[in-house]
Amino acid sequence: MQLSNRLIKWLISGPPLVFLLIFFVAPSLIMIVTSFRLPGEFGGLVPLNIFAERSGIDSGLTLETYQFFLSDWIYLEIFLKSFVIATLTTIICIAMAYPLALLIANSPRKFRNLMIMLVVLPFASNFLIRVYAWMIILGPESTLSHVINHILGVLDFEPITLLFSPFAVLIGMVYVHLPFMILPLYTNLEKHDPILLDAAQDLGANRWQRFWSVTWPLSLPGIFSGSALVFIPVLGMFAIPDILGGTGDIMIGNLIKDQFLGTRDWPFGSTLSIMLTIAVLGVTVFFTWLARSVMRSP
Amino acid sequence: MLGLLIRYLALVLAAWLSGCSGMDSMTSDKTDTRILQLFNWNNYIAPETIQHFEKTCNCQVKQDYFSDNEEMLAKLAAGATGYDLIVPTGNALHTLIQQQALSPLDKTQLPNLKNIESAYLNTRFDPANQFSVPYAYTLTLLGYNRNKIQELGLPTNTWALIFEPEYLQKIKHRVTVLDSPRELMAAALLYLGYSANDQDETHWNQAKALIIRAKPYWAAFSNTSYIRELAIGDLWVVQGYSNDLFQAALDAHKTGRSFAIDYTIPKQGAVMSLDSMVIHRSGQHPDLAHQFINFMMDGKNSAELTNLIGSGNPNRAATPFIRPELTRHPVIFPDPSTLSHLEMLTDLNHKQRRTLSRIWTEIKLR
Repeated sequence: MQLSNRLIKWLISGPPLVFLLIFFVAPSLIMIVTSFRLPGEFGGLVPLNIFAERSGIDSGLTLETYQFFLSDWIYLEIFLKSFVIATLTTIICIAMAYPLALLIANSPRKFRNLMIMLVVLPFASNFLIRVYAWMIILGPESTLSHVINHILGVLDFEPITLLFSPFAVLIGMVYVHLPFMILPLYTNLEKHDPILLDAAQDLGANRWQRFWSVTWPLSLPGIFSGSALVFIPVLGMFAIPDILGGTGDIMIGNLIKDQFLGTRDWPFGSTLSIMLTIAVLGVTVFFTWLARSVMRSP
Repeated sequence: MLGLLIRYLALVLAAWLSGCSGMDSMTSDKTDTRILQLFNWNNYIAPETIQHFEKTCNCQVKQDYFSDNEEMLAKLAAGATGYDLIVPTGNALHTLIQQQALSPLDKTQLPNLKNIESAYLNTRFDPANQFSVPYAYTLTLLGYNRNKIQELGLPTNTWALIFEPEYLQKIKHRVTVLDSPRELMAAALLYLGYSANDQDETHWNQAKALIIRAKPYWAAFSNTSYIRELAIGDLWVVQGYSNDLFQAALDAHKTGRSFAIDYTIPKQGAVMSLDSMVIHRSGQHPDLAHQFINFMMDGKNSAELTNLIGSGNPNRAATPFIRPELTRHPVIFPDPSTLSHLEMLTDLNHKQRRTLSRIWTEIKLR
């Protein structure tokens, strides 16, 4: 009996496990190996020669790429810049998603599904097309630009350009990732037991106190998972800075893309990708630790 | 990259649509229609030329597009196969030859080779034209809104227009430059008095400083959208490709704008991109590819491309078929003294590519 149970477990979890092994672990390993190899003179890689010492040919393996990465502040600067954008996006998403998720969770049950459907609705059209739409909204000849610059003109300020700026990048990021914050938050808030709030009210807590000492701490797991879902994709994003950014809005994703499609430097592209993966893992570990310690303390 | 993504979407859609409509035709004549698979730049062959060729060869021409040599090389490096014919620029041609990705040409099948001007043969990328035959060329130039520039009293025959703050302050945020490290560096190097192919790192750093000083005045780095923005009057000065600027000038003229778009070769010189036809090893129909190359070297067929996009033409026999206003244009048909100022870019080795990428990152970040 027990044996067949175990067998069934393996049969069920086997296929996804194999899938992940083949399509996640193997490419990651290839990437790690590539980062230690030499770029070919005309693109691609120099062939490997593990037993080079005897034959006197170059082994094709090197630490040079990592040295190149670390020899210079500029790449760390781009990492830092991407982190700042990802953090800002996450904070804005929390601030915008929280009231909305709360509203949906407190609505009558029959409306909730409709509202959730409306949140998910933008996914029905392609993400690039939605970002291109922002190009039109923010463009120099758009109504929005005219209105803003008119008001600025009245107040005696210099006119501004919305498109091709860090501001446009941030708007695009928030717009695309907002649903990923709303959904986990809603799932969390919906499960809160209303009796807790009633009890707090009976004990004399006002609206504000009820929120801060009951709802907010209970919703932290939702915020943490939402933050992970927003922060990590934003960190590696390259399409939005490409479309909406100006002459200076480069992120780590753009840099990686450029190594493969522009410079034909696969080892350096791989090194940058590994650094990004390490950074993302670091952030995940930090969030998990934070979530655990916050949840344990009160 | 985005262009690439969108083109993929379009391709998938097109493949799907043609798959649907092709259902019935496939059953009838799938056996004997040969397909020439062409990997070409966007808008780099006249539709009537293709129709004409399809009739003479009793075959079908299918095109796949790239907008950048690096994009094409990256796609091939990632294992794309089945292309009979590719149209790379000189430096990418050199790379393809070194990668042994090309089949040597059989010149007995190319009698029209006699039509090609000798100045465009035996380039350093393919010294004996063993693998390649010149197709057309474009120049990287300054394009501008003629009325606006006259009104502001700015010079148009010098790269200083996009690098010197004294000029740039009059056209702030109305300027774009190419989003290509090689092209922008080439312009900066030429302006500083070096060769476009200069590989001295101190000269590169001088060029970097020049670019970073001018960057605050530029609106964006743009490889394609400048065509439209120049034609509608949003931009006044651009660094762009001659065929794109030809398009912008045509658009502005056709839509009856109150201004004209013009373009000139700066006195410091410019980059010439000579594109050649080559046969890829993975192609299925080398005989058909030879037939196509010979067909394109016919004067009349070659002229159709110049008439369509205003590209430079290395074909002697084409001149009588090219519209006279184009043969008179100093950019499309540069005189010999200008020709000596034009340089073709050489490919860089991997160390130099990495250094240039590092410089480009800094340019973007600052």
